[in-house]
Amino acid sequence: MFAAKALFCVRLPEFTRSTTFRWTLVASGAFTLCILLMFGFVLAQAYWYMAVDVDGLNAGVAESIATKDGLEARIGRLEEYLRVDPHNVKLGGLFDAAGQRIAGNIESLPPELSPGAGPQLVSLVKIGVPSQERRSARAEARRLPDGSMLVVARLDYEITWIVRSLERALALGLIPALCLGLGAGAFLSIRAQRRVEEVNRKIKRIVAGDLRERLPTQGTQDAFDKLAALVNGMLDEIEALVRSIAGVGDDIAHDLRSPLTRVRVGLERARQNARTLDDLRGAVDRSIVGLDQSLSIITALLRITEIEHSRRLAGFGRVELADVVREVGDLYEPIAEDKHVRLAVAARENAAVNGDRDLLLEAIANLVDNAVKFTPEGGRVEVSLHQTDNEAIVRVCDTGPGIAPAERDLVGRRFYRGDKSRCAEGLGLGLSLVNAIVKLHGFRFNISGGPGCVAEIAGPTRQRAVA
Amino acid sequence: MAVFVAEHVSGFEPVPDDSPAVSAGPGGNASMPKVLLIEDDRQTANEIMAELVERGYEVDWAATGIEGLDRARAGQADAMIVDRLLPGMDGLTIIEALRQALIRTPVLVLSALGAVNDRVRGLRAGGDDYLTKPFALVELVARIEALLRRPGESRDTAVRVGPLELDLLSRSAKRGDRSIELLPREFRLLEYMMRRKDQLLTRAMLFEEVWNYKFLPQSNLVDVHMGRLRRKVDLPDEQAMIHNVRGEGFILRAPA
Repeated sequence: MFAAKALFCVRLPEFTRSTTFRWTLVASGAFTLCILLMFGFVLAQAYWYMAVDVDGLNAGVAESIATKDGLEARIGRLEEYLRVDPHNVKLGGLFDAAGQRIAGNIESLPPELSPGAGPQLVSLVKIGVPSQERRSARAEARRLPDGSMLVVARLDYEITWIVRSLERALALGLIPALCLGLGAGAFLSIRAQRRVEEVNRKIKRIVAGDLRERLPTQGTQDAFDKLAALVNGMLDEIEALVRSIAGVGDDIAHDLRSPLTRVRVGLERARQNARTLDDLRGAVDRSIVGLDQSLSIITALLRITEIEHSRRLAGFGRVELADVVREVGDLYEPIAEDKHVRLAVAARENAAVNGDRDLLLEAIANLVDNAVKFTPEGGRVEVSLHQTDNEAIVRVCDTGPGIAPAERDLVGRRFYRGDKSRCAEGLGLGLSLVNAIVKLHGFRFNISGGPGCVAEIAGPTRQRAVA
Repeated sequence: MAVFVAEHVSGFEPVPDDSPAVSAGPGGNASMPKVLLIEDDRQTANEIMAELVERGYEVDWAATGIEGLDRARAGQADAMIVDRLLPGMDGLTIIEALRQALIRTPVLVLSALGAVNDRVRGLRAGGDDYLTKPFALVELVARIEALLRRPGESRDTAVRVGPLELDLLSRSAKRGDRSIELLPREFRLLEYMMRRKDQLLTRAMLFEEVWNYKFLPQSNLVDVHMGRLRRKVDLPDEQAMIHNVRGEGFILRAPA
């Protein structure tokens, strides 16, 4: 009972269930079948060849006996033939019309023998051999003119023996080949199994939250390695995203906490210290400003998310950048003037790009807004439109403090804000917004140093359709 | 919390003749405009109702979409304030249903969804204006006021407020005999304000309507542009027509 149960519980090793192993089995099976077919063909060919050989020999001997004149001569020829037989395979006999043996070493005329029907396979008993058993032979029988029957035969055990040895060779070759195939299959599948298991282990760790984990590669550039490299690339991207989101969380927390702290402290102090209604109103007004500031941060973040998630091309069309630049110039000219900053707009060239007009205006307005804000009194902000062979470039230069080279790349990153700008009031997330808009368009955005700061948005120009 | 609510319940009593800042509020009780408020958050609803009642409106409050739709169908309201996210029904569904029933009561949509796309969707569904939560009560009142006093389609070629006159054909402006040089944007701004004389116009309203922008950069853009217009319209020796309501917006009035 227990034994039976134990037998049922015996499970094949893990690797036998792997795909690799199954494919190896299939391949080994096909290989075996091929070998069997080939050996079968070789055997058939060998047998046929030897049978023809033997039959030719028999026919020759029978002919040489039959052509002798007289019984004596024929007997003499037959006995001479039978005498030299080192392999003990020659058979021959002369029988009279009644089927009685006259000469030769065949005991009796085999009943199935039909004279004149060409070479045939018969079984007969040889005289002078102790075992006296019927043995298989290829025979040639002729009825002679005097009514007697001549039989010349040759035992076919030579053929059988050769077939047997071929079969043995086949068995000896096939079994090791099969074992080798299965062994290789098992080896490969165990190896693949190990890699899969390792990958599974790593993936479990990643799912559990360890985003720094990567899948192992062996540098062999095989399919496994390529897949692992692909997955690792994906993980890099995910890790970067998760980190940036974590960073965003910190940034939001920081940016929201500061104004909210001011609001809280202000309200708390006003509650204790305010003597008059005006004191209280002043505190409340300051609180509302603080709250509005927090809200505008949330609005800007949501706006960036909205832009980043919006489908490209939805509202895209031909945008004349010169118009947009001039409009932004009109919008900010009074503000610059109030601040005693000179705002120069140079949009003589006419370049059209494929994009969303409102968003591009928002992006350029943000750049100009920043430039005007950070340029000290008496400074100068220049907005210009340039066209190269295939690119339109909107450039905003200012004479402000600029952005340190080390920070320039970071500015393009989501939610990064330079320390200088952190101090300036109300920057919001302007450059992140610009970056999001530029990315949505597939344009280029870069910041370089001039005397102050040079910000550029560059995009491929759209050719006017040729009529 | 209970105290808070109680305070505002007392605020529902009409406050006669003490309406602050916006003197442009609707007049006597006989023509008290009715506003239907569909908003599920009780506290927000209480604040809005208190503010509107204080400014001389009659307010009807529905807390659910179904109730709100029923009352809106009665068609007694002069304007409606509809929250977008209501239990059991999207505010936009209510508006669409009303518009299909050919009820054209102006609607101000309130929403915590501030995205430009949501705004466009709100206006397309038949809303007349869209305000994102959180909002300043002043903003809400100004917009309701604007909806109630929306100037009809006019084919006039001139707009006049007191001594101020705009010729829409020649795009020229005059105050009395003095002609005023205006940039195109300033002309549009002045026209918009003159068509809505005596109304409080908030910065956001001006930015959306005159500049057609959906975003408001963190700048005193509107103030600066308005300042320029003001210097052209109101010379130092003239009585001021453009008034800055501190922290709230601007009003254009004929000189007394």
